[in-house]
Amino acid sequence: MTPMDRRRFFKITAITGTTAALASCGNPENQIVRFIPDEELTPGVAVWKPSVCPLCAAGCGVTARVMDGDAEVFRSGQPGVTRMGLVRKLEGDPEHPLSKGRLCVRGQAAVQVTYHPDRLVAPQRRSGDRGSGQFTEITWDEALSVLVERLDATAAAPAQLAVLSRPRRGRRHELVAEFLRRFGAPAPVSFEIFDDAVLRRANDLSFGRHQLPTFDLARTSYLLNFGADLLGTWNSPLAHSVAYGAMRQGRGGSRPKFVQVEPRMSQTGASADEWLAVRPGTEGALALGLAHVVMKAGLRPADGGGRAGAQIEGWSGGLPAFTPEAVEKETGVSAERIERLAREFASYGPAVAVIGGAPLAQTNGLAQALAVNALNALVGSVGVEGGVSFMPQGPVPAAPARTLREALAAAPPQVLLLDDANPVFAAPAAWKVRDWLRQVPFIASFGSFIDETSALADLILPDHSFLESWVESAPESGAATAVATVAGPAMRPLYDTRSMPDVLLDAGRRLKTPLAPALPWQTFEEMLQAPAAEPAPVAAAPARSTAAAAPTAWRAPELDGSAGEYPFQFMPYPSQALFDGSLAHLPWLQELPDPLTTAMWSSWVELNVRTAETLGIADGDVVEVASAHGSLRAPVVISPGIGPDAAAMPVGQGHETFTRYASGRGANPLAILAPVAEPSTGQLAWAATRVKITRISGADGSLILFAGATRERPDHTRGRG
Amino acid sequence: MNRTRNNPLADDLIRPLLHTSVWFYGAVLVLATIVLCGAAAWAYQVWYGIGVAGINWPVFWGFYLTNFVFWIGISHAGTLISAILRLVNARWRRPVTRCAEVITVFALMIGATFPIIHLGKPWLFFWLAPYPSAREIWPNFRSPLVWDFFAINTYLTGSLLFLILPMIPDFAVIRDRSSGLRRRIYGTLALGWQGTTTQWHRLEAAMQIMAVAIIPVAVSVHTIVSFDFSMAHVPMWHSTIFGPYFVAGAIFSGIAALIIAMAALRRTLRLHAYLHPLHFDNLAKLLLLMSLLWGYFVFSERLTVWYGNQPSEMAVFWATQRGEYASLYWTMVFCNFIIPVGILSFRRLRTLPGIVLVSCGVLVGMWLERFLIIVPGLANKPLSYSWGTYSPQPTEIVIMVATFAAMALLYMLFSKVVPIISIWEMKVGNQPHPALPADEEEEQQGLWRARP
Amino acid sequence: MAHRWGMVVDLDKCTGCEACVTACHAENNIPTAGATEAGRGRAMHWLRVERYWEGDFPDVKVKFKPVMCQHCDNAPCEAVCPTYASHQTDEGLNAQVYNRCIGTRYCANACSYNVRFFNFFNPQWEKPLQLQLNPDVSVREVGVMEKCTFCVQRIKSGKSAAKADGRELKDGDIQPACVQSCPAGAIIFGDLNDHESRAARLTHSPRGTKLLEDEGTEPKVTYLQRQSWNEPDTQ
Ligand SMILES: Nc1nc2c(c(=O)[nH]1)N[C@H]1C(S)=C(S)[C@@H](COP(=O)(O)OP(=O)(O)OC[C@H]3O[C@@H](n4cnc5c(=O)[nH]c(N)nc54)[C@H](O)[C@@H]3O)O[C@H]1N2
Ligand SMILES: Nc1nc2c(c(=O)[nH]1)N[C@H]1C(S)=C(S)[C@@H](COP(=O)(O)OP(=O)(O)OC[C@H]3O[C@@H](n4cnc5c(=O)[nH]c(N)nc54)[C@H](O)[C@@H]3O)O[C@H]1N2
Ligand code: SF4
Ligand code: SF4
Ligand code: SF4
Ligand code: SF4
Ligand code: SF4
Repeated sequence: MTPMDRRRFFKITAITGTTAALASCGNPENQIVRFIPDEELTPGVAVWKPSVCPLCAAGCGVTARVMDGDAEVFRSGQPGVTRMGLVRKLEGDPEHPLSKGRLCVRGQAAVQVTYHPDRLVAPQRRSGDRGSGQFTEITWDEALSVLVERLDATAAAPAQLAVLSRPRRGRRHELVAEFLRRFGAPAPVSFEIFDDAVLRRANDLSFGRHQLPTFDLARTSYLLNFGADLLGTWNSPLAHSVAYGAMRQGRGGSRPKFVQVEPRMSQTGASADEWLAVRPGTEGALALGLAHVVMKAGLRPADGGGRAGAQIEGWSGGLPAFTPEAVEKETGVSAERIERLAREFASYGPAVAVIGGAPLAQTNGLAQALAVNALNALVGSVGVEGGVSFMPQGPVPAAPARTLREALAAAPPQVLLLDDANPVFAAPAAWKVRDWLRQVPFIASFGSFIDETSALADLILPDHSFLESWVESAPESGAATAVATVAGPAMRPLYDTRSMPDVLLDAGRRLKTPLAPALPWQTFEEMLQAPAAEPAPVAAAPARSTAAAAPTAWRAPELDGSAGEYPFQFMPYPSQALFDGSLAHLPWLQELPDPLTTAMWSSWVELNVRTAETLGIADGDVVEVASAHGSLRAPVVISPGIGPDAAAMPVGQGHETFTRYASGRGANPLAILAPVAEPSTGQLAWAATRVKITRISGADGSLILFAGATRERPDHTRGRG
Repeated sequence: MNRTRNNPLADDLIRPLLHTSVWFYGAVLVLATIVLCGAAAWAYQVWYGIGVAGINWPVFWGFYLTNFVFWIGISHAGTLISAILRLVNARWRRPVTRCAEVITVFALMIGATFPIIHLGKPWLFFWLAPYPSAREIWPNFRSPLVWDFFAINTYLTGSLLFLILPMIPDFAVIRDRSSGLRRRIYGTLALGWQGTTTQWHRLEAAMQIMAVAIIPVAVSVHTIVSFDFSMAHVPMWHSTIFGPYFVAGAIFSGIAALIIAMAALRRTLRLHAYLHPLHFDNLAKLLLLMSLLWGYFVFSERLTVWYGNQPSEMAVFWATQRGEYASLYWTMVFCNFIIPVGILSFRRLRTLPGIVLVSCGVLVGMWLERFLIIVPGLANKPLSYSWGTYSPQPTEIVIMVATFAAMALLYMLFSKVVPIISIWEMKVGNQPHPALPADEEEEQQGLWRARP
Repeated sequence: MAHRWGMVVDLDKCTGCEACVTACHAENNIPTAGATEAGRGRAMHWLRVERYWEGDFPDVKVKFKPVMCQHCDNAPCEAVCPTYASHQTDEGLNAQVYNRCIGTRYCANACSYNVRFFNFFNPQWEKPLQLQLNPDVSVREVGVMEKCTFCVQRIKSGKSAAKADGRELKDGDIQPACVQSCPAGAIIFGDLNDHESRAARLTHSPRGTKLLEDEGTEPKVTYLQRQSWNEPDTQ
């Protein structure tokens, strides 16, 4: 575990030094105040400090290169310039078991969160109408007294306090949960559009582990992946990519095979040796078809499926309904191919099957996941080298949480605290999150930026950036051994910001009726230090386990909208750079060419070549994509990597308000999704909406491509090479 | 006949220097405004960065370099034609030479500014020059841009000399016919010309030497300009015929420019007596010849590329033949080949308006040719991922238009200070000086008899 | 013996993730053009991951190819540069001297790989994004050409660190930013004159090819072609 620096980074010795009235004398705003630095840095000499990438749930360890420099800061209500240690670059932490010295594209860009020009530098109080985005800067004393006043007012009905955040593991979430428990409020609400709740539930049923799986890609000989963008955005993409590199070359012996099954070629699919287009939502049927062949050919006995097999209806009888011919009809994959893949998968071990992302975001997501789990169990890939396993969980349990849907179904609370969640953007418009939020009398946000959700807040209590605070991660997957990371601040805060856990602790202390019992820590740092000193024994038991339930029957996905009126299955996917849209404010990521379309700063809809031809749509033409729940406009990228009945669109753009780089750019596919859910978890089935496509106009210049002549004059015959 | 006094020839040719119409002032005002707009556009570009132009990744050269090659091409009209005509002692050259030489000098000056305008850091243009700097860093003599520097400067120097030398006797004529400040100025310019036999001999010798020397320089200039392209491994730039192809194109566009300039002068300065249809007819025949030669080069260049069938070259080939540049390409072929051959091959159609029309077309076509050499190749380099396009931006267009205005302006101003037709050469044509070799009898009879 | 820096890109490992692209931006202070300028072809990516489609749906394949300056032995960009701003160093780097560049853009035309990028305007970092700048690398001004340097600043500091420790430079001591960040470990950098270095050995791999080999530019970047299933691993 990372050794901790005992120095008190938080105590900013913000003592005003010389006040140098510079060139524009007389104008007090232009006075530059130099803060006396409290750090000893050798000018020009870099030091490396550990930190944790906060940009996705993977929780990779990073190192920050810190060098001295002059920064314009805002502290104690005053702007000034100070020479201080500044993070210049983030790199993978060589000692970290997930990043192994490497860093994904988003992790590289994470430094721009700290230096973002639109970052809030001090607490804000709403000054305009709700949602107008007008705020006035206030001091922390004022801000805290507003917050405490509101909490005190709710103390009589503590159930009226709610916290909305992202599903993450770690002490920060534990602290929030603990605060709510002692306050008497319900568990935190958590929301992330691309959360894998369905897979956790499936793993719980199949293997007794309510947890995301870890794949030993480095040692597998046959990787069969059903739709997971595991090298781009899914689960623990950086750790997957590191292992994938090891799998591809340098192991000795013969080169493994990688088969990708998905309806739209993802960045991950692009690297596959064999790419299979299936009908969206039928991946599980294909998995069962493979299992059928394996059992029928006697390559493995049916009872090899064990508990995972027992979850599938008809398994013990050899899945008679899933003959290659039947599966061909369902999935569109030829029977011979199914036959061949099944034999390969069973013969070239260690083999591993993966499912993730869109196949789980169907109404039949659970059945799909169970099918793939059973396939893994059948070929003996669970808990073995080169197979699938579950990372032993450290001392940090997953904090209990309510889903946003549950919260939305209930009456709005009196006080809502927002932490790192933007459901107004990331939930379907049909959920009417904005309307719900408007009914909440008081909303406070801990965000560093004004986004669609925090624009509705009454109070903003900006958190430090991750580089300025104590950070930790407790990944649930990505390595064979338990991993927990804690790191101190890599630099002092630039602005009048405060760490969110500390604000909660402080507010807790200031309450009229103190929390009972009081939270045991004075600061978040103290909390992190306490148990981290002695690594708790690795929990062997699953975090939350349910007894094996009755077997689940395979069923076809149900899509929202009739095939007649809405002929295309709409497939939003996490953008490799902007993920779920929460990274759309980082200019490096905006200007990163999308790996498959090379688009930058844009939204687009991917359509099959022949589909576009039939509809009379040329590359770059603007179309309207309409579901039964809304519509949007975006330019088309004609792609050979998508089926004729599908339309795919990256998530990330379409922000109404989210800094200068993201606001008013492109369209948000999440907004038009149908509010259908996977029934067992209530998780949004974000791949289950049908849409229709209408050409609106020729290219409008909004599609910016890096590659080829399509940049200015769309012509899809070029730039293909 | 007393040829020193009461000389209608000199009167006619000096008249434009002495009398200026309102129209002239108006035209100067308009042209000067356009030129100033160009200067302002350039200032804007220097201030904000070359990015205000349309060039991009990967089409790093666009309108500016097109205009550079175009104007350097135009410059070939003058000195080269005049030198050749002098050497072969073509009878009809006398009224034409100076108009032509002036085009060369101004076109070169304009052309040479484009490489500076197009620089990312134009204020450092002198780093192209070999000069003894404190750091003892010389330019890279392997770079065709440095060759350009030498070639263009040599040609400019030579052309200036070639232009100025035969102006000396005319300056003396003006000196002798004027008084006051004008007399002082022209007296200085005349460099003490007295018209002595020795002076005539020296002038003629100098002209002979210059005429012989300037031809290889002129040929080399456009060959070297072609090296800017053929030395870079860009598809359809990397061609062995670029040297002669560029020279042919240059002479072609140069003659067209000369025809247009002569027609304009004939009309505005009422020089019908000196710029006879026969001159135009002869130039038109030359233009026809160059059109055929140009057509041959284009055809053979395309043929070898097509036959070679190298993928990256074929990408450019098809982009121009039937892709996004096809309309420009076929306009070029139409202007440079179909029209000239169609009109100039027939004596009946080879009228003055017809010839001028063809010449205008050739200028358009040759400008397009330069553009089509530069842009499609850069837009379609071997890695198709990095293909691109180019569309000019207002700054580039304004600067380009301003250079055409600058040419017209300079020409007009020049015709106000120097007789645009060499007085003494015309006189020699009429009545040879005893010190000079007389032109053949037929010249006087054949040519001057035809005077209206 | 003098160093001769070279690179190997294993296309079998590359996942097209572009971590290298952003790493290069972060390391080398490459400006962000912004949407408008990017739309006009002014985005700068010293390293780009080219994507080529092969075949038609559903039998379609993608090839990713990270392309940076190939540091050609026979570099066409060098011959044409009038000011020696583009020139070859003793260690085989195609160096770009920003202070010498006057912005003719000739080198960019001559480069067959289109890996040279031009500062059409003065670069801008909206405050306080300038704090992310790497102090080891200069910021280029308007009118200047720039491109991948093989992270020459890292080569320099690697050499001086070895010297300070009084030891020889080892293979792997120097890692350009893209090499260091690449999750899949697809890029290998090293001294081609050190025959034991990984880069030198892989340069001679049977899978090794050069980009646009027939142009005669003699690149120092070798691309290892993708393999098929069950072929013997060649790394
Ligand atoms: N105010 C102030 N004055 C200082 C200093 C300071 O920090 N502040 N520092 C001092 C120090 S340490 C130094 S070394 C000096 C440096 O002072 P100078 O030697 O004046 O250095 P620069 O201003 O960097 O560059 C000189 C010029 O060389 C040009 N140049 C670049 N390459 C070439 C080339 O190949 N040929 C030619 N001919 N010109 C070229 C540049 O465009 C620039 O105009 O300044 C000293 N003076
Ligand atoms: N971008 C860019 N970089 C350059 C140059 C350039 O023109 N442009 N020029 C280059 C050249 S030629 C040079 S010489 C270098 C100069 O580079 P440096 O040597 O870094 O020069 P300075 O930044 O002027 O001074 C360094 C520090 O010394 C401190 N100092 C001043 N007086 C004293 C003193 O008495 N004692 C101590 N201990 N410190 C003191 C100053 O406050 C400052 O923080 O920069 C080089 N780098
Ligand atoms: S995978 Fe990338 S974005 Fe996610 S935590 Fe790791 S470095 Fe950050
Ligand atoms: S790749 Fe291009 S820029 Fe790099 S050395 Fe070769 S020619 Fe020059
Ligand atoms: S742009 Fe700069 S580096 Fe390139 S050729 Fe011109 S002066 Fe040389
Ligand atoms: S070697 Fe350095 S400069 Fe070159 S592409 Fe890699 S990171 Fe960029
Ligand atoms: S970081 Fe590595 S794997 Fe990713 S695109 Fe670059 S070279 Fe390929």
